[in-house]
Amino acid sequence: MSGAWTILKKELRIYFVSPVAYAFLGVFLFLAGLFFYMGIALTGEASLRVMLGNLSIAMIFVLPMLTMRHFAEEQRGGTFELMMTAPLPLSSLIVGKWLASLVLCLLMLTGTLLFPAVLAYYGDPDWGVVFTSYVGLACCCAAFCATGLFASSLTNDQVAAGMGGIVLLLPFWLIGNAATYVDEAWRAPLEQLGFLTHLQSFTKGVVDTADLFWFACFTFVFLFLTFRTLESRRWR
Amino acid sequence: MIEVRRLTKRYGPFTAVDDVSFEVGEGEVLGFIGPNGAGKTTTMRILTGFLPATEGDARVAGFDVFEAPMEVKKRVGYLPETPPLYRELSVGQYLAFVAELRGVPSKERFRRIGDAMERVGLRGWEQRILGSLSKGYRQRVGLAQALVHDPPVLILDEPTSGLDPAQTAEVRELMRELAGERTVVLSTHILREVEALCDRVVMIYKGQVVAAGTLDEVRQIAASVRYEVEVDADAATAATAIGGLAEVATVEPTERGLVVRAKTDPRPAIASLAHDRGWAVRGLTRVVPTLEEAFLAVVEREG
Repeated sequence: MSGAWTILKKELRIYFVSPVAYAFLGVFLFLAGLFFYMGIALTGEASLRVMLGNLSIAMIFVLPMLTMRHFAEEQRGGTFELMMTAPLPLSSLIVGKWLASLVLCLLMLTGTLLFPAVLAYYGDPDWGVVFTSYVGLACCCAAFCATGLFASSLTNDQVAAGMGGIVLLLPFWLIGNAATYVDEAWRAPLEQLGFLTHLQSFTKGVVDTADLFWFACFTFVFLFLTFRTLESRRWR
Repeated sequence: MIEVRRLTKRYGPFTAVDDVSFEVGEGEVLGFIGPNGAGKTTTMRILTGFLPATEGDARVAGFDVFEAPMEVKKRVGYLPETPPLYRELSVGQYLAFVAELRGVPSKERFRRIGDAMERVGLRGWEQRILGSLSKGYRQRVGLAQALVHDPPVLILDEPTSGLDPAQTAEVRELMRELAGERTVVLSTHILREVEALCDRVVMIYKGQVVAAGTLDEVRQIAASVRYEVEVDADAATAATAIGGLAEVATVEPTERGLVVRAKTDPRPAIASLAHDRGWAVRGLTRVVPTLEEAFLAVVEREG
Protein backbone atom coordinates (compact mmCIF):
# COMPACT_ATOMS: atom_id res chain seq x y z
CA MET A 1 0.00 0.00 0.00
CA SER A 2 3.01 2.31 -0.17
CA GLY A 3 1.78 3.05 -3.68
CA ALA A 4 -1.45 4.45 -2.23
CA TRP A 5 0.61 6.84 -0.10
CA THR A 6 2.47 8.07 -3.21
CA ILE A 7 -0.83 8.68 -4.99
CA LEU A 8 -2.35 10.34 -1.94
CA LYS A 9 0.51 12.85 -1.75
CA LYS A 10 0.34 13.58 -5.46
CA GLU A 11 -3.42 14.13 -5.44
CA LEU A 12 -3.28 16.44 -2.44
CA ARG A 13 -0.51 18.41 -4.09
CA ILE A 14 -2.60 18.82 -7.24
CA TYR A 15 -5.61 19.88 -5.16
CA PHE A 16 -3.62 22.54 -3.36
CA VAL A 17 -1.45 23.94 -6.16
CA SER A 18 -4.59 24.74 -8.12
CA PRO A 19 -7.37 26.98 -6.78
CA VAL A 20 -9.72 23.99 -6.64
CA ALA A 21 -9.22 23.07 -3.00
CA TYR A 22 -9.54 26.66 -1.79
CA ALA A 23 -12.65 27.27 -3.86
CA PHE A 24 -14.31 24.20 -2.41
CA LEU A 25 -13.30 25.08 1.13
CA GLY A 26 -14.79 28.53 0.60
CA VAL A 27 -18.07 27.31 -0.89
CA PHE A 28 -18.49 24.66 1.75
CA LEU A 29 -17.86 27.07 4.62
CA PHE A 30 -20.26 29.59 3.09
CA LEU A 31 -23.00 26.97 2.89
CA ALA A 32 -22.29 25.82 6.43
CA GLY A 33 -22.52 29.41 7.66
CA LEU A 34 -25.83 29.88 5.86
CA PHE A 35 -27.28 26.70 7.35
CA PHE A 36 -25.95 27.62 10.78
CA TYR A 37 -27.67 31.01 10.69
CA MET A 38 -30.90 29.51 9.38
CA GLY A 39 -30.85 26.84 12.06
CA ILE A 40 -30.39 29.30 14.90
CA ALA A 41 -32.77 31.92 13.51
CA LEU A 42 -35.57 29.47 12.75
CA THR A 43 -35.47 27.21 15.79
CA GLY A 44 -34.02 29.56 18.36
CA GLU A 45 -32.19 26.68 20.03
CA ALA A 46 -28.46 26.32 20.58
CA SER A 47 -28.23 23.29 18.31
CA LEU A 48 -26.35 22.31 15.18
CA ARG A 49 -28.99 19.84 14.06
CA VAL A 50 -30.24 21.93 11.14
CA MET A 51 -26.79 22.91 9.95
CA LEU A 52 -25.38 19.39 10.02
CA GLY A 53 -28.48 17.85 8.41
CA ASN A 54 -28.36 20.34 5.56
CA LEU A 55 -24.62 19.94 5.14
CA SER A 56 -25.02 16.22 4.51
CA ILE A 57 -27.38 17.07 1.64
CA ALA A 58 -25.10 19.83 0.34
CA MET A 59 -22.34 17.23 0.21
CA ILE A 60 -24.34 15.29 -2.40
CA PHE A 61 -23.74 18.22 -4.73
CA VAL A 62 -20.30 19.38 -3.63
CA LEU A 63 -18.36 16.12 -3.25
CA PRO A 64 -18.84 14.77 -6.79
CA MET A 65 -17.40 18.09 -8.02
CA LEU A 66 -14.36 17.37 -5.94
CA THR A 67 -13.82 13.83 -7.17
CA MET A 68 -14.88 14.33 -10.79
CA ARG A 69 -11.43 15.08 -12.11
CA HIS A 70 -9.72 12.00 -10.69
CA PHE A 71 -10.03 9.31 -13.33
CA ALA A 72 -11.70 11.45 -15.99
CA GLU A 73 -8.69 13.75 -16.11
CA GLU A 74 -6.14 10.92 -15.97
CA GLN A 75 -7.80 9.25 -18.93
CA ARG A 76 -8.00 12.42 -20.94
CA GLY A 77 -4.48 13.64 -20.18
CA GLY A 78 -2.94 10.25 -20.91
CA THR A 79 -1.55 9.96 -17.38
CA PHE A 80 -3.74 6.93 -16.81
CA GLU A 81 -1.30 5.12 -19.08
CA LEU A 82 1.54 6.25 -16.82
CA MET A 83 -0.28 4.86 -13.79
CA MET A 84 -1.09 1.57 -15.42
CA THR A 85 2.43 1.01 -16.72
CA ALA A 86 4.02 1.74 -13.34
CA PRO A 87 4.48 -1.11 -10.86
CA LEU A 88 1.41 0.01 -8.94
CA PRO A 89 -1.60 -2.22 -8.20
CA LEU A 90 -4.88 -0.75 -9.41
CA SER A 91 -6.29 -1.06 -5.90
CA SER A 92 -3.53 1.22 -4.53
CA LEU A 93 -4.33 3.81 -7.16
CA ILE A 94 -8.02 3.81 -6.23
CA VAL A 95 -7.44 3.82 -2.48
CA GLY A 96 -4.88 6.64 -2.82
CA LYS A 97 -7.30 8.79 -4.77
CA TRP A 98 -10.16 8.02 -2.42
CA LEU A 99 -8.05 8.92 0.61
CA ALA A 100 -6.96 12.18 -1.00
CA SER A 101 -10.53 13.32 -1.61
CA LEU A 102 -11.50 12.13 1.85
CA VAL A 103 -8.70 14.15 3.44
CA LEU A 104 -9.86 17.26 1.61
CA CYS A 105 -13.47 16.66 2.71
CA LEU A 106 -12.42 16.17 6.31
CA LEU A 107 -10.53 19.45 6.08
CA MET A 108 -13.71 21.14 4.91
CA LEU A 109 -15.56 19.58 7.83
CA THR A 110 -12.86 20.75 10.23
CA GLY A 111 -13.45 24.27 8.97
CA THR A 112 -17.07 24.09 10.03
CA LEU A 113 -15.98 23.48 13.64
CA LEU A 114 -16.00 27.26 13.78
CA PHE A 115 -19.78 27.11 14.26
CA PRO A 116 -19.88 24.86 17.33
CA ALA A 117 -17.23 27.20 18.74
CA VAL A 118 -19.51 30.20 18.15
CA LEU A 119 -22.33 28.27 19.76
CA ALA A 120 -20.21 27.45 22.77
CA TYR A 121 -19.47 31.16 23.24
CA TYR A 122 -23.15 32.08 23.48
CA GLY A 123 -24.71 28.91 24.79
CA ASP A 124 -24.02 25.41 25.94
CA PRO A 125 -24.16 22.85 23.15
CA ASP A 126 -24.21 19.13 23.82
CA TRP A 127 -20.64 18.20 22.89
CA GLY A 128 -21.43 14.49 22.72
CA VAL A 129 -24.03 15.13 20.03
CA VAL A 130 -21.71 17.50 18.16
CA PHE A 131 -19.02 14.85 18.16
CA THR A 132 -21.22 11.98 16.93
CA SER A 133 -22.80 14.25 14.30
CA TYR A 134 -19.38 14.94 12.89
CA VAL A 135 -18.59 11.23 12.89
CA GLY A 136 -21.77 10.75 10.86
CA LEU A 137 -20.80 13.45 8.39
CA ALA A 138 -17.32 11.96 8.06
CA CYS A 139 -19.02 8.67 7.14
CA CYS A 140 -21.01 10.51 4.47
CA CYS A 141 -17.76 11.97 3.12
CA ALA A 142 -16.19 8.53 2.82
CA ALA A 143 -19.24 7.11 1.08
CA PHE A 144 -19.85 10.02 -1.29
CA CYS A 145 -16.20 10.24 -2.30
CA ALA A 146 -16.35 6.58 -3.30
CA THR A 147 -19.47 7.23 -5.39
CA GLY A 148 -17.84 10.27 -7.00
CA LEU A 149 -14.76 8.25 -7.89
CA PHE A 150 -16.92 5.60 -9.48
CA ALA A 151 -18.66 8.23 -11.61
CA SER A 152 -15.26 9.56 -12.61
CA SER A 153 -14.10 6.13 -13.72
CA LEU A 154 -17.04 5.82 -16.10
CA THR A 155 -16.16 8.69 -18.42
CA ASN A 156 -13.29 10.89 -19.49
CA ASP A 157 -15.43 13.99 -19.40
CA GLN A 158 -15.08 15.82 -16.10
CA VAL A 159 -18.45 17.54 -16.18
CA ALA A 160 -20.23 14.30 -17.02
CA ALA A 161 -18.38 12.66 -14.13
CA GLY A 162 -19.49 15.40 -11.73
CA MET A 163 -23.11 15.29 -12.84
CA GLY A 164 -23.02 11.49 -12.87
CA GLY A 165 -21.87 11.47 -9.26
CA ILE A 166 -24.77 13.69 -8.22
CA VAL A 167 -27.24 11.57 -10.18
CA LEU A 168 -25.92 8.43 -8.51
CA LEU A 169 -26.22 9.95 -5.05
CA LEU A 170 -29.63 11.64 -5.36
CA PRO A 171 -31.69 8.42 -5.08
CA PHE A 172 -30.02 7.58 -1.78
CA TRP A 173 -31.27 10.89 -0.42
CA LEU A 174 -34.75 10.91 -1.99
CA ILE A 175 -35.60 7.28 -1.41
CA GLY A 176 -35.88 7.94 2.31
CA ASN A 177 -38.57 10.58 1.64
CA ALA A 178 -40.32 8.37 -0.90
CA ALA A 179 -40.59 5.66 1.72
CA THR A 180 -43.26 7.70 3.53
CA TYR A 181 -45.65 7.31 0.63
CA VAL A 182 -45.51 3.56 0.09
CA ASP A 183 -47.10 0.54 1.76
CA GLU A 184 -46.09 -0.43 5.24
CA ALA A 185 -44.37 -3.55 3.94
CA TRP A 186 -42.06 -1.63 1.65
CA ARG A 187 -41.37 1.27 3.94
CA ALA A 188 -38.68 -0.24 6.16
CA PRO A 189 -36.49 -1.68 3.40
CA LEU A 190 -36.70 1.57 1.38
CA GLU A 191 -35.82 3.60 4.45
CA GLN A 192 -32.79 1.43 4.93
CA LEU A 193 -31.54 2.42 1.49
CA GLY A 194 -31.57 6.14 2.24
CA PHE A 195 -28.49 7.56 3.92
CA LEU A 196 -30.46 10.05 6.06
CA THR A 197 -31.93 7.13 7.97
CA HIS A 198 -28.44 6.00 8.86
CA LEU A 199 -27.34 9.51 9.73
CA GLN A 200 -30.21 9.95 12.17
CA SER A 201 -28.82 8.13 15.16
CA PHE A 202 -25.51 10.00 14.77
CA THR A 203 -27.35 13.33 15.04
CA LYS A 204 -29.03 12.08 18.21
CA GLY A 205 -25.70 11.35 19.87
CA VAL A 206 -25.59 7.62 19.21
CA VAL A 207 -22.96 5.79 17.20
CA ASP A 208 -24.65 2.61 16.03
CA THR A 209 -22.32 -0.05 14.58
CA ALA A 210 -25.10 -1.04 12.17
CA ASP A 211 -24.98 2.46 10.66
CA LEU A 212 -21.19 2.46 10.55
CA PHE A 213 -21.40 -0.87 8.78
CA TRP A 214 -23.92 0.53 6.28
CA PHE A 215 -21.58 3.40 5.37
CA ALA A 216 -18.62 1.03 5.18
CA CYS A 217 -20.52 -1.24 2.80
CA PHE A 218 -21.68 1.70 0.68
CA THR A 219 -18.08 2.91 0.38
CA PHE A 220 -16.71 -0.53 -0.37
CA VAL A 221 -19.31 -1.29 -3.04
CA PHE A 222 -18.51 1.89 -4.97
CA LEU A 223 -14.75 1.47 -4.63
CA PHE A 224 -15.15 -2.08 -5.86
CA LEU A 225 -17.28 -0.94 -8.81
CA THR A 226 -14.58 1.61 -9.63
CA PHE A 227 -12.01 -1.17 -9.61
CA ARG A 228 -14.08 -3.35 -11.92
CA THR A 229 -14.83 -0.49 -14.30
CA LEU A 230 -11.20 0.51 -14.67
CA GLU A 231 -10.10 -3.08 -15.06
CA SER A 232 -12.70 -3.83 -17.70
CA ARG A 233 -11.69 -0.68 -19.63
CA ARG A 234 -8.40 -2.37 -20.41
CA TRP A 235 -10.14 -5.33 -21.99
CA ARG A 236 -12.28 -3.35 -24.36
CA MET B 1 15.56 -8.94 -23.93
CA ILE B 2 12.16 -8.73 -25.59
CA GLU B 3 10.44 -11.72 -27.14
CA VAL B 4 7.07 -11.42 -28.78
CA ARG B 5 5.39 -14.55 -30.02
CA ARG B 6 2.23 -14.76 -32.13
CA LEU B 7 0.75 -11.69 -30.48
CA THR B 8 -2.81 -10.88 -31.47
CA LYS B 9 -5.11 -8.17 -30.21
CA ARG B 10 -8.71 -7.88 -31.28
CA TYR B 11 -11.22 -5.19 -30.46
CA GLY B 12 -14.49 -6.90 -31.24
CA PRO B 13 -14.38 -7.77 -34.93
CA PHE B 14 -11.40 -5.47 -35.55
CA THR B 15 -7.94 -7.02 -35.39
CA ALA B 16 -5.44 -4.35 -34.39
CA VAL B 17 -2.44 -6.66 -34.08
CA ASP B 18 -2.41 -9.88 -36.02
CA ASP B 19 -0.02 -12.70 -35.20
CA VAL B 20 3.03 -10.50 -34.62
CA SER B 21 6.33 -12.09 -33.62
CA PHE B 22 9.74 -10.51 -33.18
CA GLU B 23 12.72 -10.42 -30.87
CA VAL B 24 15.00 -7.69 -29.61
CA GLY B 25 18.42 -8.53 -28.21
CA GLU B 26 20.08 -6.79 -25.28
CA GLY B 27 21.42 -3.35 -26.18
CA GLU B 28 19.70 -3.32 -29.55
CA VAL B 29 17.60 -0.52 -30.94
CA LEU B 30 14.56 -1.80 -32.75
CA GLY B 31 12.62 0.48 -35.04
CA PHE B 32 8.97 -0.22 -35.25
CA ILE B 33 7.65 1.33 -38.42
CA GLY B 34 4.36 1.47 -40.20
CA PRO B 35 1.70 3.97 -41.21
CA ASN B 36 -0.65 5.45 -38.62
CA GLY B 37 -3.10 2.87 -37.38
CA ALA B 38 -0.88 -0.07 -38.29
CA GLY B 39 -0.84 -1.43 -34.74
CA LYS B 40 2.42 0.03 -33.43
CA THR B 41 0.92 1.71 -30.39
CA THR B 42 -1.22 -1.31 -29.54
CA THR B 43 1.81 -3.60 -29.64
CA MET B 44 3.77 -1.24 -27.40
CA ARG B 45 0.88 -0.98 -24.98
CA ILE B 46 0.80 -4.75 -24.72
CA LEU B 47 4.56 -4.84 -24.07
CA THR B 48 4.25 -2.32 -21.26
CA GLY B 49 1.40 -4.21 -19.63
CA PHE B 50 -1.15 -1.47 -20.29
CA LEU B 51 -3.28 -3.66 -22.53
CA PRO B 52 -3.79 -7.41 -22.35
CA ALA B 53 -3.33 -9.37 -25.57
CA THR B 54 -6.08 -11.52 -27.01
CA GLU B 55 -3.65 -14.27 -27.98
CA GLY B 56 0.05 -15.00 -27.95
CA ASP B 57 2.65 -14.02 -25.41
CA ALA B 58 5.36 -11.50 -24.75
CA ARG B 59 8.38 -11.58 -22.47
CA VAL B 60 10.32 -8.51 -21.43
CA ALA B 61 13.60 -8.77 -19.50
CA GLY B 62 12.86 -12.43 -18.84
CA PHE B 63 9.39 -11.92 -17.38
CA ASP B 64 6.07 -12.73 -18.97
CA VAL B 65 4.01 -9.59 -19.49
CA PHE B 66 0.79 -11.34 -18.52
CA GLU B 67 2.00 -13.52 -15.68
CA ALA B 68 4.41 -11.11 -13.97
CA PRO B 69 3.30 -7.63 -15.06
CA MET B 70 4.78 -5.93 -11.98
CA GLU B 71 8.26 -7.32 -12.67
CA VAL B 72 8.03 -6.14 -16.26
CA LYS B 73 6.76 -2.70 -15.29
CA LYS B 74 9.70 -2.20 -12.92
CA ARG B 75 12.14 -2.78 -15.77
CA VAL B 76 10.51 -0.77 -18.53
CA GLY B 77 10.63 2.95 -19.19
CA TYR B 78 7.71 3.96 -21.36
CA LEU B 79 7.00 7.13 -23.25
CA PRO B 80 3.46 7.09 -24.65
CA GLU B 81 2.55 9.02 -27.77
CA THR B 82 1.63 12.10 -25.75
CA PRO B 83 3.87 12.61 -22.71
CA PRO B 84 1.77 11.77 -19.63
CA LEU B 85 2.12 15.00 -17.65
CA TYR B 86 0.19 16.69 -14.87
CA ARG B 87 -0.18 20.28 -15.99
CA GLU B 88 -0.39 21.60 -12.44
CA LEU B 89 2.91 20.19 -11.19
CA SER B 90 6.43 21.50 -11.66
CA VAL B 91 9.06 19.48 -13.50
CA GLY B 92 10.76 18.58 -10.21
CA GLN B 93 7.54 17.61 -8.42
CA TYR B 94 6.45 15.51 -11.35
CA LEU B 95 9.71 13.60 -11.69
CA ALA B 96 9.84 13.05 -7.93
CA PHE B 97 6.35 11.57 -8.10
CA VAL B 98 7.19 9.29 -11.02
CA ALA B 99 10.41 8.14 -9.33
CA GLU B 100 8.49 7.28 -6.18
CA LEU B 101 5.77 5.58 -8.20
CA ARG B 102 8.34 3.45 -10.01
CA GLY B 103 9.88 2.44 -6.70
CA VAL B 104 13.18 4.32 -6.77
CA PRO B 105 14.50 4.16 -3.16
CA SER B 106 14.20 7.55 -1.44
CA LYS B 107 17.97 7.81 -0.91
CA GLU B 108 18.66 7.54 -4.63
CA ARG B 109 15.71 9.58 -5.83
CA PHE B 110 17.40 12.97 -5.80
CA ARG B 111 20.41 11.74 -7.76
CA ARG B 112 18.33 9.80 -10.29
CA ILE B 113 16.08 12.77 -10.98
CA GLY B 114 19.17 14.94 -11.46
CA ASP B 115 20.68 12.38 -13.85
CA ALA B 116 17.53 12.07 -15.90
CA MET B 117 17.15 15.84 -16.18
CA GLU B 118 20.77 16.23 -17.16
CA ARG B 119 20.38 13.57 -19.81
CA VAL B 120 17.49 15.24 -21.58
CA GLY B 121 18.82 18.77 -21.20
CA LEU B 122 16.45 19.96 -18.50
CA ARG B 123 19.01 21.12 -15.95
CA GLY B 124 17.74 24.14 -14.07
CA TRP B 125 14.12 23.57 -15.12
CA GLU B 126 12.93 21.99 -11.84
CA GLN B 127 10.65 24.87 -10.93
CA ARG B 128 8.87 25.23 -14.25
CA ILE B 129 5.20 24.28 -14.32
CA LEU B 130 4.50 21.50 -16.82
CA GLY B 131 1.41 23.19 -18.24
CA SER B 132 3.51 26.16 -19.35
CA LEU B 133 6.14 24.15 -21.24
CA SER B 134 6.45 24.08 -25.00
CA LYS B 135 5.89 20.85 -26.88
CA GLY B 136 9.61 20.14 -27.19
CA TYR B 137 10.18 20.54 -23.48
CA ARG B 138 7.17 18.40 -22.65
CA GLN B 139 8.67 15.69 -24.78
CA ARG B 140 11.93 16.02 -22.83
CA VAL B 141 10.09 15.70 -19.55
CA GLY B 142 8.36 12.65 -21.01
CA LEU B 143 11.75 11.15 -21.80
CA ALA B 144 13.13 12.03 -18.37
CA GLN B 145 10.09 10.32 -16.89
CA ALA B 146 10.90 7.14 -18.84
CA LEU B 147 14.54 7.24 -17.70
CA VAL B 148 14.17 8.19 -14.07
CA HIS B 149 14.18 4.66 -12.64
CA ASP B 150 17.14 3.64 -14.85
CA PRO B 151 15.29 0.87 -16.69
CA PRO B 152 17.11 -1.67 -18.88
CA VAL B 153 14.32 -1.50 -21.47
CA LEU B 154 12.91 1.64 -23.07
CA ILE B 155 9.72 1.66 -25.09
CA LEU B 156 9.18 4.95 -26.88
CA ASP B 157 6.10 5.67 -28.93
CA GLU B 158 6.98 8.24 -31.59
CA PRO B 159 9.56 10.08 -29.48
CA THR B 160 10.08 12.82 -32.08
CA SER B 161 6.52 13.43 -33.22
CA GLY B 162 5.55 17.07 -33.31
CA LEU B 163 9.04 18.39 -32.62
CA ASP B 164 10.75 21.02 -34.73
CA PRO B 165 13.88 19.97 -36.68
CA ALA B 166 16.34 21.20 -34.04
CA GLN B 167 14.49 19.41 -31.27
CA THR B 168 14.22 16.28 -33.40
CA ALA B 169 17.97 16.31 -33.88
CA GLU B 170 18.50 16.68 -30.13
CA VAL B 171 16.19 13.80 -29.31
CA ARG B 172 17.91 11.64 -31.91
CA GLU B 173 21.26 12.49 -30.39
CA LEU B 174 19.91 11.43 -27.02
CA MET B 175 18.61 8.16 -28.48
CA ARG B 176 22.01 7.46 -29.92
CA GLU B 177 23.56 7.94 -26.48
CA LEU B 178 21.01 5.65 -24.88
CA ALA B 179 21.45 2.93 -27.48
CA GLY B 180 23.98 0.32 -26.50
CA GLU B 181 23.48 0.63 -22.76
CA ARG B 182 19.78 -0.08 -23.01
CA THR B 183 17.40 -2.06 -25.13
CA VAL B 184 15.21 0.37 -27.01
CA VAL B 185 12.05 -0.15 -29.00
CA LEU B 186 10.90 2.97 -30.77
CA SER B 187 8.04 3.49 -33.13
CA THR B 188 7.91 6.06 -35.85
CA HIS B 189 6.58 6.71 -39.27
CA ILE B 190 9.54 8.90 -40.13
CA LEU B 191 11.78 6.49 -41.96
CA ARG B 192 14.85 8.67 -41.86
CA GLU B 193 14.79 8.30 -38.13
CA VAL B 194 14.97 4.56 -38.34
CA GLU B 195 17.85 4.76 -40.76
CA ALA B 196 19.68 7.07 -38.39
CA LEU B 197 19.10 5.14 -35.19
CA CYS B 198 18.07 1.54 -35.45
CA ASP B 199 19.97 -1.71 -35.67
CA ARG B 200 16.93 -3.63 -36.70
CA VAL B 201 13.54 -2.91 -38.12
CA VAL B 202 10.11 -4.43 -37.86
CA MET B 203 7.75 -3.13 -40.47
CA ILE B 204 4.11 -3.50 -39.59
CA TYR B 205 1.11 -2.88 -41.79
CA LYS B 206 -2.56 -3.51 -40.97
CA GLY B 207 -1.52 -5.30 -37.81
CA GLN B 208 0.84 -7.73 -39.52
CA VAL B 209 4.60 -7.87 -39.75
CA VAL B 210 5.39 -7.41 -43.42
CA ALA B 211 9.16 -7.19 -43.15
CA ALA B 212 11.68 -7.66 -40.36
CA GLY B 213 15.45 -7.77 -40.06
CA THR B 214 18.42 -5.46 -40.28
CA LEU B 215 18.04 -2.23 -42.23
CA ASP B 216 19.65 -3.75 -45.34
CA GLU B 217 17.60 -6.90 -45.13
CA VAL B 218 14.37 -5.01 -44.89
CA ARG B 219 15.28 -2.80 -47.80
CA GLN B 220 16.02 -5.83 -49.92
CA ILE B 221 12.95 -7.76 -48.86
CA ALA B 222 10.79 -4.85 -49.70
CA ALA B 223 12.27 -3.55 -52.94
CA SER B 224 15.19 -4.91 -54.86
CA VAL B 225 18.35 -3.08 -55.78
CA ARG B 226 18.15 -1.30 -59.14
CA TYR B 227 20.57 0.34 -61.56
CA GLU B 228 20.04 3.67 -63.24
CA VAL B 229 21.55 4.00 -66.67
CA GLU B 230 21.86 7.22 -68.66
CA VAL B 231 23.37 7.03 -72.13
CA ASP B 232 23.43 9.33 -75.15
CA ALA B 233 21.25 7.22 -77.39
CA ASP B 234 17.67 6.80 -78.43
CA ALA B 235 15.81 5.47 -75.37
CA ALA B 236 13.99 2.70 -77.23
CA THR B 237 17.12 1.44 -78.97
CA ALA B 238 19.13 1.50 -75.76
CA ALA B 239 16.38 -0.27 -73.86
CA THR B 240 16.19 -3.09 -76.36
CA ALA B 241 19.94 -3.49 -76.49
CA ILE B 242 20.38 -3.49 -72.70
CA GLY B 243 17.35 -5.76 -72.29
CA GLY B 244 19.13 -8.27 -74.49
CA LEU B 245 22.02 -8.66 -72.02
CA ALA B 246 22.12 -11.97 -70.12
CA GLU B 247 22.33 -10.39 -66.63
CA VAL B 248 19.37 -8.03 -67.08
CA ALA B 249 15.88 -8.97 -65.96
CA THR B 250 13.84 -5.87 -66.79
CA VAL B 251 14.44 -2.45 -68.33
CA GLU B 252 12.11 0.44 -67.78
CA PRO B 253 12.49 3.84 -69.43
CA THR B 254 11.89 6.71 -66.97
CA GLU B 255 12.57 10.44 -66.99
CA ARG B 256 15.82 9.80 -65.12
CA GLY B 257 17.03 7.37 -67.74
CA LEU B 258 16.66 3.61 -67.86
CA VAL B 259 15.94 1.73 -64.67
CA VAL B 260 17.43 -1.74 -64.86
CA ARG B 261 16.76 -4.62 -62.52
CA ALA B 262 19.14 -7.54 -62.69
CA LYS B 263 20.14 -10.79 -61.00
CA THR B 264 23.82 -9.84 -60.83
CA ASP B 265 25.57 -6.53 -61.23
CA PRO B 266 25.06 -5.64 -64.95
CA ARG B 267 27.24 -2.52 -64.99
CA PRO B 268 30.35 -4.01 -66.66
CA ALA B 269 28.20 -5.54 -69.39
CA ILE B 270 26.30 -2.27 -69.93
CA ALA B 271 29.56 -0.30 -70.05
CA SER B 272 31.12 -2.54 -72.69
CA LEU B 273 27.88 -2.51 -74.69
CA ALA B 274 27.91 1.29 -74.66
CA HIS B 275 31.57 1.24 -75.70
CA ASP B 276 30.85 -1.12 -78.62
CA ARG B 277 27.93 1.02 -79.83
CA GLY B 278 29.80 4.28 -79.28
CA TRP B 279 27.28 5.76 -76.73
CA ALA B 280 28.52 8.30 -74.29
CA VAL B 281 27.72 7.13 -70.75
CA ARG B 282 26.39 9.88 -68.47
CA GLY B 283 25.37 7.74 -65.54
CA LEU B 284 25.60 4.18 -64.39
CA THR B 285 24.61 3.86 -60.76
CA ARG B 286 23.66 1.13 -58.33
CA VAL B 287 20.74 2.34 -56.23
CA VAL B 288 19.88 0.75 -52.88
CA PRO B 289 16.29 1.67 -52.11
CA THR B 290 15.67 3.94 -49.14
CA LEU B 291 13.48 2.65 -46.40
CA GLU B 292 10.87 5.07 -47.66
CA GLU B 293 10.77 3.30 -51.01
CA ALA B 294 10.84 -0.09 -49.35
CA PHE B 295 7.96 0.94 -47.20
CA LEU B 296 5.90 2.26 -50.09
CA ALA B 297 6.64 -0.89 -52.07
CA VAL B 298 5.33 -3.02 -49.23
CA VAL B 299 2.24 -0.91 -48.75
CA GLU B 300 1.54 -1.09 -52.49
CA ARG B 301 2.08 -4.82 -52.64
CA GLU B 302 -0.13 -5.54 -49.66
CA GLY B 303 -2.86 -3.29 -51.01
